[in-house]
Amino acid sequence: MASAGAGGGKTYSFKVVLLGEGCVGKTSLVLRYCENKFNDKHITTLQASFLTKKLNIGGKRVNIAIWDTAGQERFHALGPIYYRDSNGAILVYDITDEDSFQKVKNWVKELRKMLGNDISLCIVGNKLDLEKDRHVSVEEAEVYAESVGAKHFHTSAKLNKGIEELFLDLCKRMIETAQAEERAKGNGNGQSANTRRGVQIVDDEPQQQSSGGCCS
Amino acid sequence: MSLKSERRGIHVDQSELLCKKGCGYYGNPAWQGFCSKCWREEYSKARQRQIQEDWELAERLQREEEAAYASSQGAPSLTFSKFEEKKTNETKRKVQTVKKFFSPSSRAAPKKVADSQEVKASSPSINRQTSLETERASKDFIDFLKSFRKPGQDILKQCRGFIESMQHKKELSIEEQSECVQDFYQNMVDRLQTHSTFKGSSERIDKLMDQIENFIMTRLYKNVFCPETTDDEKKDLAIQKRIRALHWVTLEMLCVPVNEEIPEVYELVVKAITAVIEMDSRRVPREKLTCITQCSKQIFNAIKITKNEPASADDFLPTLIYIVLKANPPRLQSNIQYITRFCNPSRLMTGEDGYYFTNLCCAVAFIEKLDAQSLNLTQEDFDRYMSGQASPKKQDSEEWSPEACPGLKQMYKNLNLISQLNERQQKILSDAKQLEKDLIDWSEGVTKDIEDIIEKYPLEIKPRGQPVAAIDSDNVENDKLPPPIQPQVFIG
Repeated sequence: MASAGAGGGKTYSFKVVLLGEGCVGKTSLVLRYCENKFNDKHITTLQASFLTKKLNIGGKRVNIAIWDTAGQERFHALGPIYYRDSNGAILVYDITDEDSFQKVKNWVKELRKMLGNDISLCIVGNKLDLEKDRHVSVEEAEVYAESVGAKHFHTSAKLNKGIEELFLDLCKRMIETAQAEERAKGNGNGQSANTRRGVQIVDDEPQQQSSGGCCS
Repeated sequence: MSLKSERRGIHVDQSELLCKKGCGYYGNPAWQGFCSKCWREEYSKARQRQIQEDWELAERLQREEEAAYASSQGAPSLTFSKFEEKKTNETKRKVQTVKKFFSPSSRAAPKKVADSQEVKASSPSINRQTSLETERASKDFIDFLKSFRKPGQDILKQCRGFIESMQHKKELSIEEQSECVQDFYQNMVDRLQTHSTFKGSSERIDKLMDQIENFIMTRLYKNVFCPETTDDEKKDLAIQKRIRALHWVTLEMLCVPVNEEIPEVYELVVKAITAVIEMDSRRVPREKLTCITQCSKQIFNAIKITKNEPASADDFLPTLIYIVLKANPPRLQSNIQYITRFCNPSRLMTGEDGYYFTNLCCAVAFIEKLDAQSLNLTQEDFDRYMSGQASPKKQDSEEWSPEACPGLKQMYKNLNLISQLNERQQKILSDAKQLEKDLIDWSEGVTKDIEDIIEKYPLEIKPRGQPVAAIDSDNVENDKLPPPIQPQVFIG
């Protein structure tokens, strides 16, 4: 999945999806990370739904593309189209909102089911600056994260806390996965075929709109 | 009064309407005053000349290219060089121009033209798709490759060989053909990465891969876009019908953070719609992707103006859905499938274009499965809207719909005028009826009066022999009469 660049210095390209309910601060998080901006009146960025960042981790060049996803409940079913072929996922919840943490749990279940362990997960409790209104306990979140093989972070986009660490750790883990995969590829050469197909719409069951249902 | 003078203003002498050539038919300003037939003659002469020039140019380029690559011996002669088919190509080119006029929205019309043109160019050639567009693509490609010298020749040879081999694979399923193309991309990238000229410059490789995609897909397009072996076309029609059925969906239902009442935003929305429709007219998957990206950029601008902050996916996706519903882009599914099958995967998977394409896929998936819940409607409302029994716009607020769109506003204004006019018309009509009735009544009344009078004073006709003044007729003798007897008074 990580497309290695030209021979000499390797360049990794990673796709990271950003999942989480609306209003948990996904957008602020990436904007803070990629542009170091928060609630700035003079933000010149046109959009915060697709952002890229170039990193250099231990001599390895890494390009990450961060894919924001629509968090509204009505778009939940579209998740698989978004997170297809992604190397990492950042699952954001709002520490003052119990529901948003439940949503994260749902996402994790789904991701693990669809992508297995190929994807590196980060669970992120955002809005640390609102500690006094916390509704999701630290222990609960951390225990849960560990149980599903994800890392847990606390961040505040407002105070610019914990964000660099989050992405750095995620990148390191994605590099590890990519390297492991390369080694596996070196052994058995059969995997490349199915990793490079594009996006496809999965039509599992075309829903029929019955228009006569209201008459009874 | 004013009407009259206006009419005088546009009055044109009969002779001015006739064809400039004097053939007796009517001319048309669109054809520079010629009738359609004379215009075609004139026009085709000019066209012919230009085509001739173009072909000479192409021929020259071809010769140059042939010379340049003579060393690369028996390069599979896949043929933009079949000049004996000039005739076919000329007609083909005309079709292309016509297509350009009609595209992207209407498909049927140019097809008809194409058919009729093809009948004329009766010689069917293996190489139909050699149109101007492919010519240009090959020319660009060759120019581009020239900068690489030797490896460039090799790449051209590879690509031609590949296209040639694809000609024999038409029978394969589309998935297998897609696999072939993808393998080819993969092989090319692998080879380029190990090649000394390109080593270490992934940017140059990307650029070259884009060019290769251009070259190959322009040529393969005809055979692999919406192929008959798949149900792509059926899916196209299904989504088209679906979108049409959902015409009533409003900005509010989708929670679209875009305010169309701001003229600037409205303009951006229109541009976004145009861009996504434009996608169908492109041949190369990468160019189709570019259309989607342009559409997305317009959407971001619209959101930015409305909300004054960078758009997140929460804002973007609903807006894109709205745009797709408004645009109803032609052959949507075919285009998506085509891009999925034949786009260079590296672009599709991680790049920005890929992100917008994914969102478009999401929008389509959403539209396909959309139900009452996803629009926050009750099932009854949803069903009523779907069946066309009710329209949400009328109920919601009467202010909204006319305000949103200048066209609608004008329409409502016109409707209003027409209904007023209608009222007046009715009034005039009923007044006229009344007048007619009054007239009839009056004349009847008069007749009746006369009859009454006649009845009352019937005309008496006396016998002729008895003159009316009989008593006094012999007045002459009156003198002879004795004087009247004087009364005598008797006193007694």
